[in-house]
Amino acid sequence: MFHVLLALAGDDLHGYAILKEVELRTGGKVRLSTGTLYGIIKRLLNDGLVVELRSRPAESNDDERRRYYRLTPQGRQVATAEAERMDEILSIARSRNLLKKIRTA
Amino acid sequence: MAAADSRAARIYRALLRLLPFDFRSDFGPEMETVFQEQHKEAGRRNGTTGVLRLWWETIVGIFRTAPGEHLAMFHQDAGFALRMMRKSPGFTLAAILTLGLGIGANSAIFSVVHAVLLKPLPYEHGQRLVTLQQQAPRAGLLNQPFSVTEINDYRAQSHSLDGLVEYHNMNFILLGRSEPERVETGVVSWNYFDVFGVKPLFGRTFRPEDEQPGAPAVLMLSYEYWIRSFGGDPTVVNKAFTMNDKPHKVVGILPPVPQYPDENDVYMPTTACPFRSRPAFIANRQARMMQAFARRKPGISVNQARADLNGVAANLQKAYPNDYPPSVDYSLATSSLEEELTHNARPTMLVLLGAAGFVLLIACANVANLNLSRMVRRERELAVRAALGAGRVRMFRQLLTESSLLALIGGGLGLLFSWGTLSLLVAFAARFTPRAREIHLDATVLLFTLGVALLTSMLSGTAPALAARETVVGGLKEGGVQSTIGRGRHRMRSLLIVAQVAVSFLLLIGAGLMLRSFAKLQHVNPGFQPENVLTMQIGLDFTKYGSNEKQLAFFETLLDRIQAQSGVKSAAVSMMIPLSGNMRMTNDFQIEGQSPTPGQALPVADFRVVSPRYFETLHVPVLDGRVFTRADRPNTPAVAVVNRTAAHHFWGAQNPVGKRFTVDGGKSWVQITGIVGDIKQYGLDKDVPDEIYVPLAQSPLLDGILVVKTAAEPMSIARSIIELLYAIDPNQPAARVQSLEQVRAESVAAPRLTANLLGLFALLALAIAATGISGVMALAVGQRRHEIGVRMAIGARPGEILQMILQQGLALAFVGVVLGLFGALWLTRLLQQLLFEVAPTDPLTYLGVAVVLGLAALVACYVPARRASRVDPIIALRVD
Repeated sequence: MFHVLLALAGDDLHGYAILKEVELRTGGKVRLSTGTLYGIIKRLLNDGLVVELRSRPAESNDDERRRYYRLTPQGRQVATAEAERMDEILSIARSRNLLKKIRTA
Repeated sequence: MAAADSRAARIYRALLRLLPFDFRSDFGPEMETVFQEQHKEAGRRNGTTGVLRLWWETIVGIFRTAPGEHLAMFHQDAGFALRMMRKSPGFTLAAILTLGLGIGANSAIFSVVHAVLLKPLPYEHGQRLVTLQQQAPRAGLLNQPFSVTEINDYRAQSHSLDGLVEYHNMNFILLGRSEPERVETGVVSWNYFDVFGVKPLFGRTFRPEDEQPGAPAVLMLSYEYWIRSFGGDPTVVNKAFTMNDKPHKVVGILPPVPQYPDENDVYMPTTACPFRSRPAFIANRQARMMQAFARRKPGISVNQARADLNGVAANLQKAYPNDYPPSVDYSLATSSLEEELTHNARPTMLVLLGAAGFVLLIACANVANLNLSRMVRRERELAVRAALGAGRVRMFRQLLTESSLLALIGGGLGLLFSWGTLSLLVAFAARFTPRAREIHLDATVLLFTLGVALLTSMLSGTAPALAARETVVGGLKEGGVQSTIGRGRHRMRSLLIVAQVAVSFLLLIGAGLMLRSFAKLQHVNPGFQPENVLTMQIGLDFTKYGSNEKQLAFFETLLDRIQAQSGVKSAAVSMMIPLSGNMRMTNDFQIEGQSPTPGQALPVADFRVVSPRYFETLHVPVLDGRVFTRADRPNTPAVAVVNRTAAHHFWGAQNPVGKRFTVDGGKSWVQITGIVGDIKQYGLDKDVPDEIYVPLAQSPLLDGILVVKTAAEPMSIARSIIELLYAIDPNQPAARVQSLEQVRAESVAAPRLTANLLGLFALLALAIAATGISGVMALAVGQRRHEIGVRMAIGARPGEILQMILQQGLALAFVGVVLGLFGALWLTRLLQQLLFEVAPTDPLTYLGVAVVLGLAALVACYVPARRASRVDPIIALRVD
């Protein structure tokens, strides 16, 4: 679920683009299937974390069955809070020397 | 490639069907495009491996997502259903109650059927146990007990058995507790429990050395006796109690298993029974007292065992022609123990299960009807929802969720109901089978109830759900409130009513026949007057009262003292009292002047020992001659009294008084002094046996039943009679103290309870069906207000309106009754076995039930019809 939020944090995306984005960002480690993806999207929609765009982005000239999703301000807050939480956990892990290298990329 | 793509798309679409309808309609098309793109890319980048991997991930993903989504949907539906139920509490309550009673009746009866008829016997290898019976049909003997030598012969000569054990029952007096106690004792072979496969709860079962002559006497206690008399204290094992002047050590406690043929308190090996271990008894091939049970070897069928044992029977006939004359047609009957234990219960239990099923059907039809009626009011809601995009499947699902919830709550109520009635049912079933104690609400019963509840929800929910489709199509455009009901739906409601009436009719007929049969049974003249007679069983201590003189002296002293008691009209002792138990003592005899032709069986009659005032005490009429007096002594000429049936049967037109017969081949002769009236000895529904009474003085008893005719309520003087008994012998207990009226009531308890249960089911069905008719008619009237208003505006009188509505309701009832009539004619044949002197097609019952049902329908229709006749045309027309 967090991966989907992260993918949408950058740009408004349609379903397939979300899949690709998640796969790309995780170096192919996380591969969502359609069932899982739309289960997540349904929940995010219900919780008001994402919305479906009425108007499609101008540059899109593809399949009109595609729907685009955008993070709501609330969704952004949730994603931020989750990222901060993870960051805190990571710094604890670092202070315990569980993570040797600090990636700066 | 395009073909492959479209095939992939088709498969994917099929896969999507696993997801709930809503999910699919929201995301389905989009998911398909995404999948197509994934599919294309996977093929492009990684070829077949990539495509296979994609499929795998996709399938797993959908299987993971689907259950959660379905659950979420159910949550939503259930929430909505609960809100709807709260909104119409009347409907909800009526539906839950109706279904609860219907389901409860089924799970209660099923718990009995399951425990008694379906479960295997709770003995290890219970399926392989058989009971053996010697038969000599030409001598009128179908269940002849075995003698010791016969048991030994069958055991030694048969090849199909893993073990053959003997059993007989005796009463002994157990000393060593605070009061002397009369205990029902099963006397058995040492390996009796091993053959049955019963393991002791504590201690051990018997061993071969326990059955050696002269071995120290040992006992096993039945579970029930152990709980009742020792409070379930395991330290009673190894304690000794005195019985028959000998210490008996308790070696083990039995687990709670059904005891057959008798419910015993204790068990002892055959050598411990003073009666069974007498050498003369053991040697006598004709001294038959024991029952025989056996376990078939694995793989041997009942038929094979039967053939094997009849081979032994043939050997015996050859070896002992005097004991088994060809004329009596001697053979050995073998039947499975399971069959033996349950055949009495089977017809009644199956009839009750069928009746309970019918009640549930009526309940389902009624709830379906309630649902349909409610649907009319919900038409607008449903139409709005349909217009807002709820699919047909979605609506179907919503309605089924509602009916499932109702059925599940009803099922819960039903379980409570059957839990509450369980002890009553056990008591009921115990009258038919020793397996009654096995009745529990176990996992199978719970599963059954759940299954029934789900089936119920299908049955009661499908009709409205189907009807909802119609609503979706045509509901909104007519404005909802005033919409006319679809013809189809109206027809379905009428159909449901007809079905309810038909099934109620069936049940009422069943109950009516049982009640008529029971009433006939009640009116059977038993041949004696049971009023104001006290009875109690007195079994004398074998060791203390071993001789005939002592036995006679004891009973005569006791009778004299009781006779002197105030409030006592007369007192007597008998071997058995009418209508209780099935102990038979039959004997063959030879009538003087009728020399037996060789090879022909002698006449056989039931012999009964009674003391002089027996006939007076029970008010049995003396038809001719005299009955016994104190002047008949052991040393005076032997006398006997016959009943009317025996007199006709054996002496025909002749008067038997003064005639003589012999039971010992002419060594001694017994003279008949009188004829008495017939008594229904073995049951009000049974034929009167040929009976020959002999006086106590000439044939003393060890075990007798005291009968005392009292001036007032018999139980009120029971205590003082027992005091008299203790005054003669403080170690002499009395058992089964009850009035003869109780005995009589007890003897018809099984048919009475069956009739009551069926009657209860039928009344329930009638009540449900009547409210059903009333509800449907009320709804119809409500919907036809406008039409009725018009009719009245153009001159119809209220009476005519009333008649019109009544006619419509009664027409439905009439069709139902006719259908029910055919059903009843067809189904009541199954009741035949349970009926006494009533034909399954008894016209009086049919007529009575039709009238009752017609009246109920009339009352049910009258209320709505009256309301219709009071419609004010002005108001009715203004509503538009």
